[in-house]
Amino acid sequence: MSTTAADVRSGGSKDIGSADRRFRLEGLGLTLVIIALGIMFTLINPRFASIDNFLNILTQASTYIIVAMGMTFVISKAGIDLSVGSTLAVVTCVFFGFIDGGMPWGLALIIMFALGAFLGAINGLMVAFLAVPALIATLGTMVAYRGIALLHSSGKLYYGLPPEIVWLGQGRLFGIPVPVIMAAIFVAFCWWLFNRTRFGLHCRSVGGNREAARLAGVPVSRIEILVYTFMGVCVTIGGLIWMARIDGAQATLGTAMEIHVIAATIIGGTSLFGGRGTIYGSLAGAILLTMLNNALVIAGVEFFWQLVAIGVIVVIAVTVNNVRENRIVWLDTLRARRKQAQRGARAA
Amino acid sequence: MSMTTEALELHQPLLSVRDIDKSYGGLRAIDGVSLDIEGGEIVALVGDNGAGKSTLIKMICGALRPDGGEIFLRGKAIAFGSPKDATDAGIETVHQSLGLVDTLNVPENVFLGREKTFRVLGLFNQLDLSAMREETRKLLERFGISVPTLNEPVFRLSGGQRQTIAISRLLLSEPSLIIMDEPMAALGVDEGRRVMDLVVNLRDQGIAVLMISHNLEHVFKVADRIAVLKNGRLVGVVATSDASRESVVSMITLGTA
Repeated sequence: MSTTAADVRSGGSKDIGSADRRFRLEGLGLTLVIIALGIMFTLINPRFASIDNFLNILTQASTYIIVAMGMTFVISKAGIDLSVGSTLAVVTCVFFGFIDGGMPWGLALIIMFALGAFLGAINGLMVAFLAVPALIATLGTMVAYRGIALLHSSGKLYYGLPPEIVWLGQGRLFGIPVPVIMAAIFVAFCWWLFNRTRFGLHCRSVGGNREAARLAGVPVSRIEILVYTFMGVCVTIGGLIWMARIDGAQATLGTAMEIHVIAATIIGGTSLFGGRGTIYGSLAGAILLTMLNNALVIAGVEFFWQLVAIGVIVVIAVTVNNVRENRIVWLDTLRARRKQAQRGARAA
Repeated sequence: MSMTTEALELHQPLLSVRDIDKSYGGLRAIDGVSLDIEGGEIVALVGDNGAGKSTLIKMICGALRPDGGEIFLRGKAIAFGSPKDATDAGIETVHQSLGLVDTLNVPENVFLGREKTFRVLGLFNQLDLSAMREETRKLLERFGISVPTLNEPVFRLSGGQRQTIAISRLLLSEPSLIIMDEPMAALGVDEGRRVMDLVVNLRDQGIAVLMISHNLEHVFKVADRIAVLKNGRLVGVVATSDASRESVVSMITLGTA
């Protein structure tokens, strides 16, 4: 590491970027986990490995995948959104309300998306301009939006969508379920948005160091509002697919959805502390969770145990991430002490 | 290197601070300080804690407004309302906090806030990653900065490398003066030397540097002139070549030239 000025000048240019890895295998570990679990589940129950079940898992996962895309942006921006499930309930119930009232589905769809974006933007405005911590702001809207959904539907169970909408959830294109195709296109779009656009870069920069981003000229408040608005749009797409898939909606739709989506995002490797995220990881995380669900259902495990499993998985995922990022102080201290002891032993 | 009045009239200094004052309540943080900085020279600003070094550079970089006195840039009076004004005028500042986003990689940090893009399908702007990477490489090459990886987040880099990245991102706008607050603080010997090499390199390319430093060894190695502050007043400005370390130390502690 001892370089003189001359060394640096003559050899420096060659060194720049010389240690860069060509292919970054991020998310490889998670992919291996998915494959290993798939093999395990198949050994337990051969029905698991069928193409039908595979497409079924992807269809079930599609809503979570799409919402997890938005969550990847939000968490990378060092935010969080707990209101996704409630937002989903509001937009689907309002959509059904319009349909029941005889409104053409095209117009209802437009209003639904505008409403989703608006509900997201409210979160963003609170975070950006009222300096309410995202956890509190979205905890508030989580409860408030659920209340609105309940008020609007007054406990009604909606059903009976126009066939065009049902097709979005139950139709097939070239043998592939439409929700899977929609999710795939949306994931590709989000990958591009996250890694190849100013918006994605600015989200990551605000999450990494808000003050530095502001000083560099990043419009921090605008990014904050935009990212939550985008989250609202993602939830609306996810909600559209969900209600089309089951051809129904009620005010309790999407309860406990936030924990699933946040889990998928964190398992994927997006840092809760902001600044870093991976689209592929969130996709893999959402698939992994749904697969687990599916396997537990096939194995006949009660739904409530699935909730327990999800909770445990979230904590494990965050812990693994913390170990990887050296965030656990006592573990670090322990390591340093052991190293010191070894050195002392060698000296003696 | 000492300037006669004749020489001063013949050519304009790059930056000229005239009699500026700044008070915080009853405390005179800066009291009638005048200082010239020529294009392409390294001026070190030294002094004890509380001597007013930070206050002085904050007024030059637009973060604080002086209570009295004037600042001239190439002979023109300037009044910066914000750091952005100073940046637009060609004065960039590296603060101790560096202003890097640790989780972004090197080109992303260098280009943050002024990204290069191209149009896709005539509709969307896409980041031109390869152009940003190539320009970053050229920039680092020009100033002799060696960084083994551009793709990794910068928190993986060493303190000295991070410091050089923080400086290099300012060079993109071709500034005429760079202000640095303790650029070599908290760096190892090799790392400190790397940053000093860069500072000298900047001067050789015609960029003036005003830096605060507590380390007299570094100051004597790189600075062309040393400005000493004590209790908000300028004790004196000496050329490094004809000053001894003892004389500078006595200026700092006793306040006598």
